[in-house]
Amino acid sequence: MSNKMQSNVWIGQKDLNQEPEFMESLDKEFHDEGSTSLLEKAPEMEGNRRDFLKMLGFGITAATVAAGCDIPVKKAIPYVIKPEQIIPGVATYYASTFVEGGDVAPILVKTREGRPIKIEGNETLSKNGGTTARAQASVLSLYNINRYKTPQIKDGDTLSSSDWKSVDAAVSSALSKARNIRFVTNTIVSPSSKKAIAALDAKYGNVKVVTYDSVSYAGALDANLADFGKRALPSYHFDKAKVIVSFDADFLGSYLPNGDVSADYIAGRDLSDANSPKMSRHFQVESHMSLTGSNADNRVLVKPSEMGSAIAYLASKVVGGSSSLKLNAKAKKGLDKVAAQLKAAGSQGLVLAASNNVAEQRLVNAINNAIGAYGSTVDMSDANLTKQGDESQLDAMITEMKSNLVDVVIFNQCNPLYDYSSAAELAAVLGKVKTKIGLAYASNETNAFCDIIAPVSHFLESWGDAQSTESKYYVQQPTISTIFDTRQMEDSVLAWAGTGESYKDFMKASWTEDVFAAQSKFVSAASFWDSALHDGGVMMGGGSSVSYAGGSIGSLMSGVSKPSSSELEVKFFETAHMANGQSADNPWLMEMPDPVARTSWGNYLAVPVSFDGVRTMLGMNNLKDGDLVDLTIGDIKYRVPVVQQFGMMPGTVALALGYGRSNSGATCDNVGVNVNPCLKKVSGRTQYFADIVSVSNKVGKEEHFSCVQYHHTYGVRGMDKKTGEVINADEAATVSVTYGVVDQGYQGSITDRSVIYNTNAADLKDSIAHLKEKRAEAEHLNQNTMYPFEEFTEDLYSQGHHWGMHVDLNSCTGCGACTVACMAENNVPVVGKREVSRHHEMTWLRIDRYYYGDVDNPNVVYQPMMCQHCDNAPCENVCPVNATNHSSEGLNQMTYNRCVGTRYCANNCPYKVRRFNWMDYTTADLFPANQPAMGLDTDVPFYADDLTRMVLNPDVTVRVRGVIEKCSFCVQRIQEGKLTAKTEGRRLEDSDVKTACAAACNTNAITFGDMNNKKGDLAAKLDSPLNFIALEEINVRSSVTYTMKVNNRDKSLDA
Amino acid sequence: MHTLRTLHIVKNSVLLVLIFFGSLGALSAEPTADAGKTVFKNYCASCHAKNMKSALTGPPLANAEANWADYPREDLYAWIRNSQAMIASGHPRAVQIWNEYKPTVMTAFPNLTDEDIESTMLYIDGMAKGTYGAPAGGVVAENSAAGTQEASSNVLYYALFGLLMLLALILSRVINGLSKISAAKEGRVYQGKTLWESLTSRGMIMFTIFALIVLGGYTTVNKATDLGRQEGYAPEQPIKFSHETHAGLNKIECQYCHDGARRSKHAVIPAANTCMNCHTAIKYGSSYGTGELSKIYASVGYDPNTGKYIEDYDKMSNEDIEKIFAKWIGDQYVANNDDVTELDKVGEQLIKSEWKEIVSSLTSDVKESVAGPIEWVRIHNLPDHVYFNHSQHVSIGKVECQTCHGEVEGMAVVEQHSPLSMGWCINCHRQTEVQFADNDYYKSYAKYHEELESGDRDKVTVQDIGGLECQKCHY
Repeated sequence: MSNKMQSNVWIGQKDLNQEPEFMESLDKEFHDEGSTSLLEKAPEMEGNRRDFLKMLGFGITAATVAAGCDIPVKKAIPYVIKPEQIIPGVATYYASTFVEGGDVAPILVKTREGRPIKIEGNETLSKNGGTTARAQASVLSLYNINRYKTPQIKDGDTLSSSDWKSVDAAVSSALSKARNIRFVTNTIVSPSSKKAIAALDAKYGNVKVVTYDSVSYAGALDANLADFGKRALPSYHFDKAKVIVSFDADFLGSYLPNGDVSADYIAGRDLSDANSPKMSRHFQVESHMSLTGSNADNRVLVKPSEMGSAIAYLASKVVGGSSSLKLNAKAKKGLDKVAAQLKAAGSQGLVLAASNNVAEQRLVNAINNAIGAYGSTVDMSDANLTKQGDESQLDAMITEMKSNLVDVVIFNQCNPLYDYSSAAELAAVLGKVKTKIGLAYASNETNAFCDIIAPVSHFLESWGDAQSTESKYYVQQPTISTIFDTRQMEDSVLAWAGTGESYKDFMKASWTEDVFAAQSKFVSAASFWDSALHDGGVMMGGGSSVSYAGGSIGSLMSGVSKPSSSELEVKFFETAHMANGQSADNPWLMEMPDPVARTSWGNYLAVPVSFDGVRTMLGMNNLKDGDLVDLTIGDIKYRVPVVQQFGMMPGTVALALGYGRSNSGATCDNVGVNVNPCLKKVSGRTQYFADIVSVSNKVGKEEHFSCVQYHHTYGVRGMDKKTGEVINADEAATVSVTYGVVDQGYQGSITDRSVIYNTNAADLKDSIAHLKEKRAEAEHLNQNTMYPFEEFTEDLYSQGHHWGMHVDLNSCTGCGACTVACMAENNVPVVGKREVSRHHEMTWLRIDRYYYGDVDNPNVVYQPMMCQHCDNAPCENVCPVNATNHSSEGLNQMTYNRCVGTRYCANNCPYKVRRFNWMDYTTADLFPANQPAMGLDTDVPFYADDLTRMVLNPDVTVRVRGVIEKCSFCVQRIQEGKLTAKTEGRRLEDSDVKTACAAACNTNAITFGDMNNKKGDLAAKLDSPLNFIALEEINVRSSVTYTMKVNNRDKSLDA
Repeated sequence: MHTLRTLHIVKNSVLLVLIFFGSLGALSAEPTADAGKTVFKNYCASCHAKNMKSALTGPPLANAEANWADYPREDLYAWIRNSQAMIASGHPRAVQIWNEYKPTVMTAFPNLTDEDIESTMLYIDGMAKGTYGAPAGGVVAENSAAGTQEASSNVLYYALFGLLMLLALILSRVINGLSKISAAKEGRVYQGKTLWESLTSRGMIMFTIFALIVLGGYTTVNKATDLGRQEGYAPEQPIKFSHETHAGLNKIECQYCHDGARRSKHAVIPAANTCMNCHTAIKYGSSYGTGELSKIYASVGYDPNTGKYIEDYDKMSNEDIEKIFAKWIGDQYVANNDDVTELDKVGEQLIKSEWKEIVSSLTSDVKESVAGPIEWVRIHNLPDHVYFNHSQHVSIGKVECQTCHGEVEGMAVVEQHSPLSMGWCINCHRQTEVQFADNDYYKSYAKYHEELESGDRDKVTVQDIGGLECQKCHY
């Protein structure tokens, strides 16, 4: 058993196949496309002797001028009247709420001198005080350079700047003349907003709200309406579930995205007592590797069109009835076992599905009802209200428009011309609508079509409320006055409704009327409001209780969609960060790699890989990463790059939604392809797959293939002990376990190197013993040195602080919130697609993805990897200028202004976590240069305009070209925490300092603290027998501890 | 015989060096003009002109020594340490000066030693005669505190250089002599090099080039290090705010206005509403009348005529604002000049010039209206890659403001007192003792506490708890 635990880890097909190019690249100090090779490729970077002399002359002159110049006069501008609660230099936090695409997250907004600069979780109202990556990135969209800065009215063909008076007049006149007004919106979770819109209807009498969601949940909503009489989704309690079955629902990523879901899910996988783990077992039935699937214990693979069959099959086994629908044999076998375990779990089972088919969703309800999940793991009483859309309303509107019945359409911060499957049809009939009004934040496909733009404020500039479930109310408050001449949606609506009321007062009145009246804790409405505003919301009791009244299984079975007989199908999915493109113009999200495929800046066609039976993993059609193919879906043809993906159902390819935008700004326009037009509707419900598909052979190579999976790899290859041949470690391991051919056990492999330890819950005892043995062995190796570490450092950390971190790989779902939080906190630059493809991404914290187990259907482990702050750091002693050195508190310090850019440290870092500023990404350089080489159309890179720069954290230096940077353990937060403790005259506690990544984590996977504080949070975690240190045997004395990954895989499903 | 002579020379040289060092030791306690310069800069320069010949707030100092020559030297010391006491005691010279300069009071400097004052007198004398800083006057030191030490070590270097040259000369003569002897022994005629030949020899030229490169490099590096440093920077501010009046005469606590210092990284230039706490009552300035105070009112929108804040002030045009302040300046002119009963030509001129001043002080390229914040010129600028936190130093470290900012209460115009260089910071971190005992935070430094108790350690400096590490300030 212990052998299996040790082996079987790989990062992708390139190391499994031991591709020569990849193996060669491992020997290189840096990616081959360094600055020298660039000279040949980019004419603008070419130089000759004359250029050299020019530069030399310029340099000397510039230096002389700089030396001769007077120091520039700097101004210091105080407030005229200083607000009492603002102290310049000290951050002020406001509670607010992030609402986007179904996520309603209570947040704290960190502001400095009146500028929001960072989003933090709200520990009072959320489970673990974390946030999602999208919530983290939302602060950057406040400073989006493409946002509307003034009201606009169409003048001829183009929108031109106007003012509110003219816009209000134009809108009022259009509304008063209109026969029918349609208000198109995504789900509105704000009760007060709905009231404001109702006020508009009260005035004109012909306003109909058309609600749709950019990814439809209408099937599930209608199913619940039929079975419970409530058009809402259930609240799930993953913490109470023993067996979780998810049909394609990516609940840890994009399905009802919310941080508390992840928190609950991880709470149900309790390994705090390693001797008796209490772990739920999670089965994911899906066709492509989703984020949730990658975290599942077992995956049952079906083709996208077989999903209905799979649900029907499970229902037949659990509830009764019979399904005659075709389903692959392996899935049937798997679902038999799932059914048995689900029945055994009873009310501790939980089934959910992403299907947009009413009958299938009602079958899921029937299963949940049969096992008694309602009231236990699935809650319809306190129902989830974040999705209320119905695409058939949009279809109805199109029909009305065709018959010239609609005079005015108002688009409320939605983008149906992009994310609606019948966008083309809608665009064709919009010409018949007299006035098209956009309540819009920034230019996009739909807004470009509008006659009038009433620019809305960012949510950080607005008042608002949100109701995520029947019992949870949240408040939004402005954290900055409007930067531009914008007005929040509700204020515009109220102005047009002619109530003359500000939305703030309107909302307060609405709260007094509804929420205050429904509670008993507060006697005065004012103190209730103050408390809600301070906390960011209120949790009320209950919800309305309902009972299941489902139909007969037989009739439901007949409504299940039939599987296709097509050989190849394509699955369309949302990634956790991009969803269906709502924040595609956010550079932080664009640059954040998709956790599973690890691709950024675009969508890539995931193709399955298969083992050739000898040594190699082959991609479908012999396709390799970065190959361009022609993808034909129905009659639409795309040219897309390919990424090989493990764990795909054979005969299935997958492509992400949310890319291929137009009219939406340089960040996202024409990045990737838009697949929304390929979405088909069955019985009026959008389906997220297609079956008439063909994929060509390789037709070219993607110019800038920005997948980061093979960047900064370490510890991959090894020597075979018997032959002395350098072989790929993991290939041998895989082959030996799965196919029993090659021997294993050689030095230097990814597995023999202690990068990842993994095991199954059933083997936990053996594995812990084995881990202990391995760690003792590493310790023994480390003792046999000429320079015993202890001897030199006896007194080093005997007092004061010794900072350390613990990363629980069993809690990490790979969601990526920490990576965005790190970028926001530490002013990490966005480098763009071309630079990413050249291995130049600057992220201080990356999440390494490793596969392990069965090559056909592997498990995944995510390993957040940042500077390990080694106490015996190899980077430190190679720096010729001592720019990186060690502090008395155990920090590996990087001093930018001392760094001369030799990059020796990066070369010597065993974890590959040091990043070099190859270009002037931040335009912090004295003399701007080399922007053209970054592959940007303009000379202005990201962060170069003053608006975007407002997001910078003033406590962290912005790095210039030519220096190394890396994770600092958020030293600015450490210093701040120490200062707080000193000011209060007490000892420092672990809660005083939380790094940005630890604070952003929904599942508390990252714990930061003082290793010298024996009573601290960190010390408690350092006792676990599952702990290991990455590359412990090389004696670098890392300060970051990981845990062994434990899954609860049911191995009987593999047979 | 020759060996003996050489030995003799060596002995003499050693003796010379010893004598030299001895004399250095004796010299160091004496008052020097360089030390005087430091004292002058720190205590005198804000009121007395540096050229010692023209009057500023205080009288020119060139003739101070001569004027006090009739009295014992101690009287001069006493005068400088506490002039008011001396005036009160009725010292004839003291009373004479008081009559000339009253009501301006000279700040008392009880901490100055006799040596300090003598040094200052030397410096004053040197500056007045123009001998200080001239090459003949010896070594020139640029920096104040470090300058004194540098100067004495420079003298040492020059002396050593001289000695070595002497030695080289002697040795060359010895070699010459030896060569002559050996030539004579071998029967050759020894032909010594001429001076010109020696000077143009390859070795000599190489040495000269080498020396030039070393000197050039040294100077370049030194000058480059000083780039961007602005010690002594005292720019003109939009309002002639005098710290001497506020902190010196009226003894307002530094942190009353700079309220960020105790709780934030920024000490904070106070918002104009802080000024208004007092200046709603004090509307006529002691030095500038309506000239400077009106700028504050014009910034915040306070109508001094009515004593009320003006509503919607930020929407008012400059012309409308001008009317308010024209009335105010005119009224005050009449009220504060006993011999004027109504607004005359001088008064109108005053209104015009003061309004012009208000406009030029409160507007800029990006700000047309006088309403709104005052754009002060920032004096203390740290580079962006340096993190400095006032509260750490003021609240936790209990460092006096004056330690870094100098005697601001004596500055009519604030100037940067310290170099704000990294060396300066580091030096202080090496020497400053941590407030260890009375803050529980430091309990985590258990070993230091033990050592302090057992007497193995007499203090814990900032350096001891990591105060010299890069990431304490750079991140």
